[in-house]
Amino acid sequence: MNVRGLAERAGYTVFCEGEDREIESGYCGDFLSNIISRAPDACAWLTVMNNVNVAAVATLIDCACIILCEGVEPDEALKNRAQMQSIWLLGAKENVFEESKRVAAVCGV
Amino acid sequence: MDCIRLEYDVDGENFASAGNASESVKRTLKQMGVSPASVRRVAIAMYEGEINMVIHAHGGKAVAEVYPDRIEIRLQDTGPGIADIDLAMKAGYSTATENIRSLGFGAGMGLPNMKKYSDEMKIESTVGVGTTVFLRIDF
Repeated sequence: MNVRGLAERAGYTVFCEGEDREIESGYCGDFLSNIISRAPDACAWLTVMNNVNVAAVATLIDCACIILCEGVEPDEALKNRAQMQSIWLLGAKENVFEESKRVAAVCGV
Repeated sequence: MDCIRLEYDVDGENFASAGNASESVKRTLKQMGVSPASVRRVAIAMYEGEINMVIHAHGGKAVAEVYPDRIEIRLQDTGPGIADIDLAMKAGYSTATENIRSLGFGAGMGLPNMKKYSDEMKIESTVGVGTTVFLRIDF
């Protein structure tokens, strides 16, 4: 399942679009040092962290998309940087656990 | 041996640009055809170093020299220095403020990650003068 397909099927808010890649796995977390060393390539990264560093880390780990959970909306700095770097930035309503289950079900990961 | 030399000024306490140097190095290595696994190790180690300079040292200078078989990175700052390097190297130990933690940093994994993902790491630090971290990552 590609990112656009997930966004449509799951009804996620699209804050920013990027390259429409396949989602191959998932990773959940807010501590950036954990994310950067452990999140697999081409993953959907689910977090509640909302600041500009999220975009920098997403670029370095080559994730397929960022999913901000629990209704978190990106601040201006994060949105701008995500746009500059063409990173998918999605918004989801429920908590990280519930949204992980949804991503797993929709994407088959 | 010829190498490609990349130099960056890391802007202190400016999180909007933190990670720019690591991203630039990553892009360069990718274009050179370095393996994705090696690119990832370099990106992790360098980003952690860059963030350390932003958080703790009001920025500094990052110099990367890319050779056909390795990269050598020197991260130099004129920050407060590290009083006890062994303690700073301990996973989970952090002196980051609450404000920094709220940004997703301060897990105490910066230096351990840098060591884990590099083939050689050297820290020279003098309290009140600054810190220089040398990293070598083989491709």
